[in-house]
Amino acid sequence: MIGMSTRHILLGLLASGPSHGYDLKRRHDERFPQARPLAYGQVYTTLQRLVRDGLAEIEGTDSDGGPERTVYRTTETGSRELAHWAAEIAPPAPFVTNEIFAKVVVAILSGGDPAAYLRAQRAAHMRRMRELTAVKSAPGADLATVLSADFALNHLDADLRWMTTTAARLTTLTAEVDAA
Amino acid sequence: MNNAATPGPLLAARDLVKAHGRTPALRGASLDLRAGEILAVTGASGSGKSTLLHCMAGIVRPDRGSVTYGGQRLDRLPEKRLSELRRTDFGVVFQFGQLIPELTALDNVALPLLLAGTPRSRARERAGEWLERFGARGQEELRPGEMSGGQAQRTALARALVTGPKVVFADEPTGALDSLAGEQVMTALAHTARESGTAVLLITHDARTAAYADREASLHDGTVVTEDTVLEVTP
Amino acid sequence: MTADLRLAWHLVRGSDRHEWWRIALTGVGALLATGLALGAVVLASLRGHHAIPVADGLLDDPGERAGVVAALLLLMIPVLGFLGQSARLGAVHRDRRLAGLRLAGATPWQVRRIAAAETGPACLAGSAVATVLCALLVVRTGDHSSVWTWTGIAVVAVGMPVVGTLTGVLALRRVVASPLGTVRRVRPRTRPGLMFFGAVALFLGALFASYLSLDRRPGTVPTGPMLVVSGLALAGAAALWLVGAAARLTGRLLAARTGSPAVLIAAERLRDDPWAAARTHTVVLLVTVVGTGFVGIRRTLLEVLGSGKHVSEDLSFYTTGLDLTAAAIGVGLVITLSGLAVGTAESLATRRRTLAVQAAVGVPRAVLGRALLLETALPLAPGVLVAGIGGAAIGTGYASLAEGGGWSTPWTALLVPVAVYAASLLAAATALPLLHRSVRPAELRYA
Repeated sequence: MIGMSTRHILLGLLASGPSHGYDLKRRHDERFPQARPLAYGQVYTTLQRLVRDGLAEIEGTDSDGGPERTVYRTTETGSRELAHWAAEIAPPAPFVTNEIFAKVVVAILSGGDPAAYLRAQRAAHMRRMRELTAVKSAPGADLATVLSADFALNHLDADLRWMTTTAARLTTLTAEVDAA
Repeated sequence: MNNAATPGPLLAARDLVKAHGRTPALRGASLDLRAGEILAVTGASGSGKSTLLHCMAGIVRPDRGSVTYGGQRLDRLPEKRLSELRRTDFGVVFQFGQLIPELTALDNVALPLLLAGTPRSRARERAGEWLERFGARGQEELRPGEMSGGQAQRTALARALVTGPKVVFADEPTGALDSLAGEQVMTALAHTARESGTAVLLITHDARTAAYADREASLHDGTVVTEDTVLEVTP
Repeated sequence: MTADLRLAWHLVRGSDRHEWWRIALTGVGALLATGLALGAVVLASLRGHHAIPVADGLLDDPGERAGVVAALLLLMIPVLGFLGQSARLGAVHRDRRLAGLRLAGATPWQVRRIAAAETGPACLAGSAVATVLCALLVVRTGDHSSVWTWTGIAVVAVGMPVVGTLTGVLALRRVVASPLGTVRRVRPRTRPGLMFFGAVALFLGALFASYLSLDRRPGTVPTGPMLVVSGLALAGAAALWLVGAAARLTGRLLAARTGSPAVLIAAERLRDDPWAAARTHTVVLLVTVVGTGFVGIRRTLLEVLGSGKHVSEDLSFYTTGLDLTAAAIGVGLVITLSGLAVGTAESLATRRRTLAVQAAVGVPRAVLGRALLLETALPLAPGVLVAGIGGAAIGTGYASLAEGGGWSTPWTALLVPVAVYAASLLAAATALPLLHRSVRPAELRYA
C-alpha cells in the first residue's frame, strides 16, 4: 500500500506508552488482523532506525523474569512526525501499477492465452474472497477483523469486476495491442 | 464425478431448456446441489439465473430436461404436489415482494406454519423465535410497508426457514439492499443454513454475496459453466 | 394538442388487455348512463296527457311519468357505481404510466389532456350510441316531442361524455401533482370523503329539479317519489357506514383469533382498508332493501287487486307497472353485480405480482381463492342481513297499512336477501379464473 510505513505504525503503537520489540510485534498483529504479520527482525531494524533519526529513544531494559528486553519510547520529534503523517492524505492511486493488467498485455504480446490467465486469476480471487468472508462472518469476530476483511473484500471485488469487463473486451484489446 | 464416497446430489438439474416466448433463457443447463451446501449461481443479467432457480424450485416447468429431488422428477409432479413441496421442503426468498403487505411481520412468518395446519398461537410463537434468530426482534407487529429493506428481507428469510426446509432458494436476496444491510442478511442466512444443514441455492450478480457460498457456478448464455471456465469470451 | 392525442393513442395501443377492458366497460357504462338520463329527460319534457303506445299507458299521464322518471334516475346509482369501478380498472398501472410522463417532463396540463384523451373517446362512443337509439325511439313512437325534448337530448348527449371525462381527470389529481405518482410505501387509507356526500347532494338536487320541472296538478304535494328518494339516500349513507364498520370489525375480530390462513389474509386485508369495497357493497345493500321491500309490496298489491276491490280499473295497467319496476330492480341488481365482479377482478389485477410470489413460495391457489371470496362474503353478510330486515319491514308495513290493512305478511320477500348474497358471491367468484392466470410464474419476471 502506498505511503504505508512500518516506521509510522510502530511510532503509533509507541504513542500509547513505552514498549519493547516483542510486545510491539504482538500488538501490531492484534490491531491489524489479516495484514501481513510483522517479522521480528523487521521490528528491531525499524526501531534502531527510529532511534538513529531521533524519533524514538531507549528508555531502559526490562527483564520481567525472562530474557532482557530493550524498552523504547517516542520522542517529541517522533510525536510531531507521527501527527504529521496521520493527518496527511494518502495520494489516491498516483501510478496505475496493475500486475493483472500487465500480465494480460504481456500475454497478448507474447502470443499467450490472456483469457485462460483471467479465468485462473478470477478463481483465485473468488477463493480468497470466500476465505475472508468466512473469517469475518465467524461467530465472535471482532469489529477490527470485520473491517479489515471488508477492506480486502472490496478491493478484490473491484479487481473481479475489472477482470470481467476486460475478459468481455479481450478481442478488441488484442487488436489494439497487436496494431501498435 | 460421483464416486462411492460422495453421496448423490440433493437436487439435480439436467440439460434444462426453457424459453420465454421466443427468447431462450436456458439452453441445456445442468447443476447439482448437494445436501447442506451453499451454492452461488452467478452470471450477467439475462444469463438465465432466475429461470434456473424457478425450474429447480418447481415454480416453472422446463421445456426440456429434468429436475430431480429426493428421487422425484419435479418437472413431472402435478401442481398440487409442487405447492406442497415448496411449502414443506423448500423455502424461497426473492429480491422483494414475497411478504403479504397486509400481514404483520409475525403473521407473514407464521403463514407457512398455518398452511401446514399448526394452531395459530403455536405458529406465532415459533414465528417469533425465528424473527429473533434473524435479529428482527421488536418489529413483529410492523407491516411490510413500514419496514426497511433489510428488515423486510430478514422477515422473508425467517419465513423461508420457519418450516425447517431442506433447500432454500434465494434469488438476489441482497439485490435491493445497501452493502451493510446486505451483509447482515447474508451473514444471518449463511449461519442459519450451516447450523441447520439447509442447502442454499443463491442467485446473485454480486461477488461479495457469492463469497458467502461454499462453491460457485456461473451461467453464461443459458448454460452452466464451471468456476474455471467462467470468463467465456463472446466472439 | 395533436401531439398529446397521438401520445395517448400510442400509450393505449401499447398497453395490455386491462386497458382495453377499461375502455370497453367505460363505454358500456356511458351508454347505460346516457340512456337512462335521456329516458328521464324525454319523459320529463312531456306536458299533459299523451297516448304513448308502449307500457300499457303507464307513460300517458304526468303522475305516473313522474314515478318512471324517478325510477330511471334511481337506476343511475348502480350505473355510476359500475362506471366508477370500470374507471379504476388498471388504475395502478395507469397512475404509474402518467407519473412516468410527468417524470419525463410532461406538464400537469399535458398529463391531464392525455388522461382525458384516454377516457373521453370511450365515453363519447357510449353516449353517441345511446343518443342515436333514443332519438330513433322518440321518432318511432309517434311525435310527442317538443323543443324541450330535443334540447334535453342534446344537453345530455354532450354533457355525459364531458362529465365522464372530467371525473376521470379529477381522479388523477394526485398523480398529476407529483411525478412520483401515488406509489408510496404506506398506502393512503381510502375513506368515504366529501366527494361521496357531494355526489349524494348533487344527485338529490338534480332529482328535485327534474321533479319540479314535471307538469303536475295544482294542489297535490309531491310526497311519494321524494319520500322514496330521500329515504334511499338515508339508507345509502347508513349502508355505507355499516359496510365499512362491519368490514373493520370482522377484520379485527377474525384477524386476532383465526387459525385459517385464508381467513387471516382476508381479515387483515379488511382491517387494513375497510372502505376499499364500500362503494359497490353499499349499492348491493340498497338493491337488497329496494328488492326486498318491492317483493313484499308487490305481493300485497296483487292480493289487493285480486280481492276485487278495484274492478273498475284496468288490471293490466297495474301489473305492467309492477313488472316494469321489477325489471328495473333486476337491471339494477345485474349492473351492481357486474360492478362487484369488475371490482374483484381489479383488486386481483393490481396485486398480481404479490399473488404470483405467494403461489411461488407455496401458498396454494385454493387458499388465495378462498381469501378473495371471504373478502366479499365477510363484510357483506351483516349488511345484507340488516338490509333484508329493513326491506321486509317496508313490505310488512305496507301490508298492514294498505287498503285498511289485514293482508297476509309477505314472507317470500325474505328470499331476496339470500338470493342477493348468493349472487354477490357468484359475481366475486367470476374473478377466480383471473386469479389462476395471475399466479403464473411469468409475473415473477417483472420485478
